[in-house]
Amino acid sequence: WQKVLYERQPFPDNYVDQRFLEELRKNVHARRYRYRAVVFQSGAVVQQLCSVCVFVLTWWYMAAGALSPQGLFAAALASSLLGYVLFDAVDGGAGRWASGRTRWADLKSTLVFAAFTYGFSPVLKTLTESISTDTIYAMSALMLLGHLIFFDYGANAAIVSSTLSLNMAIFASVCLASRLPRSLHAFVMVTFAMQIFALWPMLQKKLKAQTPRCYVGVTVLFALAALAGLATVSSVGAVLFASLLLAISCLCPYCLIRLQLLKDNIHGPWDEAEIKEDLSRFL
Amino acid sequence: MAAGGPAGGAHSVCMVSDFFYPNMGGVESHVYQLSQCLIERGHKVLVVTHAYGHRKGIRYLTNGLKVYYLPLKVMYNQSTATTLFHSLPLLRYIFVRERVTIVHAHSSFSAMAHDALFHAKTMGLRTVFTDHSLFGFADVSSVLTNKLLTVSLCDTNHIICVSYTSKENTVLRAALDPRIVSVIPNAVDPTDFTPDPSRRDDGIITIVVVSRLVYRKGIDLLSGIIPELCQKYPELHFLVGGEGPKRIVLEEVRERYQLHDRVRLLGALEHQDVRNVLVQGHIFLNTSLTEAFCMAIVEAASCGLQVVSTRVGGIPEVLPENLIILCEPSVKSLCDGLEKAIAQLRSGTIPSPETVHNKVKTFYTWRNVAERTEKVYDRVADEVVLPMDERLGRLMSHCGPVTGYIFALFAVLNFLFLAFLRWMTPDSIIDVAIDATGPKGAWTKQYFWGKKGRVKELPSSKNAQMKRKEHNSH
Repeated sequence: WQKVLYERQPFPDNYVDQRFLEELRKNVHARRYRYRAVVFQSGAVVQQLCSVCVFVLTWWYMAAGALSPQGLFAAALASSLLGYVLFDAVDGGAGRWASGRTRWADLKSTLVFAAFTYGFSPVLKTLTESISTDTIYAMSALMLLGHLIFFDYGANAAIVSSTLSLNMAIFASVCLASRLPRSLHAFVMVTFAMQIFALWPMLQKKLKAQTPRCYVGVTVLFALAALAGLATVSSVGAVLFASLLLAISCLCPYCLIRLQLLKDNIHGPWDEAEIKEDLSRFL
Repeated sequence: MAAGGPAGGAHSVCMVSDFFYPNMGGVESHVYQLSQCLIERGHKVLVVTHAYGHRKGIRYLTNGLKVYYLPLKVMYNQSTATTLFHSLPLLRYIFVRERVTIVHAHSSFSAMAHDALFHAKTMGLRTVFTDHSLFGFADVSSVLTNKLLTVSLCDTNHIICVSYTSKENTVLRAALDPRIVSVIPNAVDPTDFTPDPSRRDDGIITIVVVSRLVYRKGIDLLSGIIPELCQKYPELHFLVGGEGPKRIVLEEVRERYQLHDRVRLLGALEHQDVRNVLVQGHIFLNTSLTEAFCMAIVEAASCGLQVVSTRVGGIPEVLPENLIILCEPSVKSLCDGLEKAIAQLRSGTIPSPETVHNKVKTFYTWRNVAERTEKVYDRVADEVVLPMDERLGRLMSHCGPVTGYIFALFAVLNFLFLAFLRWMTPDSIIDVAIDATGPKGAWTKQYFWGKKGRVKELPSSKNAQMKRKEHNSH
């Protein structure tokens, strides 16, 4: 028996040969993960959850009047400057040299951004006055959730969109800022959101690539700080948040590795061929 | 009847598919040609499809092939919407009226085909299904379609696939017993595709591509091959027939490399024009990324061209090694394959178009397909249709705990609906249609009976015939 159609063969049409399905391959692209590596990668999710937590806590204290806008602004400015120095220091300026961006350009965009936010902060303050506070809370919660969903954790998936993610976070910050007492509060809140949702992840990414050990340390410290902050507001919340972080960094990797063993993906000659070359060079 | 007549007695076959003339494509011509050859063998055949624009109601095509164009809503890509129930009254009426014994559904993309299988099983009729396409297993859409296919085929009597690869694919997708799956290839009418070396210009080398210009046909690969080879061989020309979204890519390449005089894009081709394009070339190139059974390469080989193709799906099974050069789906491999073909052409070691044609024309004929399909019908006719309780058991045990129970419930509802319809209009008061084809076929006797002596070239100029019918009916 031959696997050909052009010859009449002395077998019935429904004949099943021993070679039936011999080209079947299983789990060709399945990857074996190591537990430690997966836990390390889950750090990105933990970091982002903590960022959201810290952001909401800051807003909470500002709204309660326990945190002055000047104090927050000073602290944020100091940590930003520290981060700025670190950003160039961890890779010895290689990234900056590759992008060709000057410090003057950085300063310019910072000033432009700060000036605009400051100028528009009265508008931000009154922008959502006519909307009920419940709606604002619901919207902020939804937007922060969206920020977490669409954030670029390093996976190559269609759902990932760092632009959308950042926009949702800023939208949430604008919503929450409008419920603060004065326009200076609103200005500080939005700049703080920029720092924690736009600049902080950039620094994290660089730390993760250059000094993995340091990154683990920073993640643990950041998580502990967020937990401590949450504990001062609600101890039940802190316990729940701690278990969420533990589940994400320990339990989920374990599940992934166990479920990976059950993977049963079949491939064969019927699969659509993939074009592996880069054909754009012809155009 | 025709010489000897059908061995296992005449069957009354109802072909069901969303895809039929005036739509054009592989499934459409398969259904038409198979029906014609089955009529020739003395069976009663009718086709059920959905209405195409003003073409609705009952039409008769060549040799009394009766076609029901049902007024069902088209949802997507010429496929009807399915609710699993709404087509039962119409289909039941047809099955009873025409005394159908076997329901033969075509194409897994056709919702009507699956509906018809579902109803036919409820009515206790024998069912056959032909699968024309390949599916992957990796993405969400294929997981869902494969589940539906499992449901649809788990209690179907017999399944026909067009190549061994397609059989493996279908068996895996629908979790079937491979023994109820037959492999019967498609066919090509060799009289439609005859070589004509005088039509080609032997001063140059022409590579012909005839395909829809879509991603799945590998047109991106073609856009890499054209500049690569045109720079190397100044006497090389490309002739591309077909239309589609990827045409723009080819036009860009042509523009970029200034190849307007050497790359001709012909646009959409009518089926009868394909041969006239093919005979102008020396080499036929197929760059498909997936293919269950590639008719295009058989047509090209039948016109005497040297075929170069990607090694995907069922293609390696279709032509013997000396008639085809198989390559990996990459620009480099395909260019190597084409260069090999060009070298053979220059050294004159390629067999003449006439020899190739004479060889290929014996491979695939519709008569052979009909003969083998008839064997499937004979086999199915001896099988028992699962009674309701066993059918429910099969659905529940075979299709998984959730889907199985849901569709078992649907099957019960379908049965109750059928009982209601039988109470409303009992089978006994439904008119019996006059047979156009088959042993008592009115058409066959009047117009075909006397001509049995000469072997009619069936159905060579079918498009012309179709066209004429179309005109007459308006």
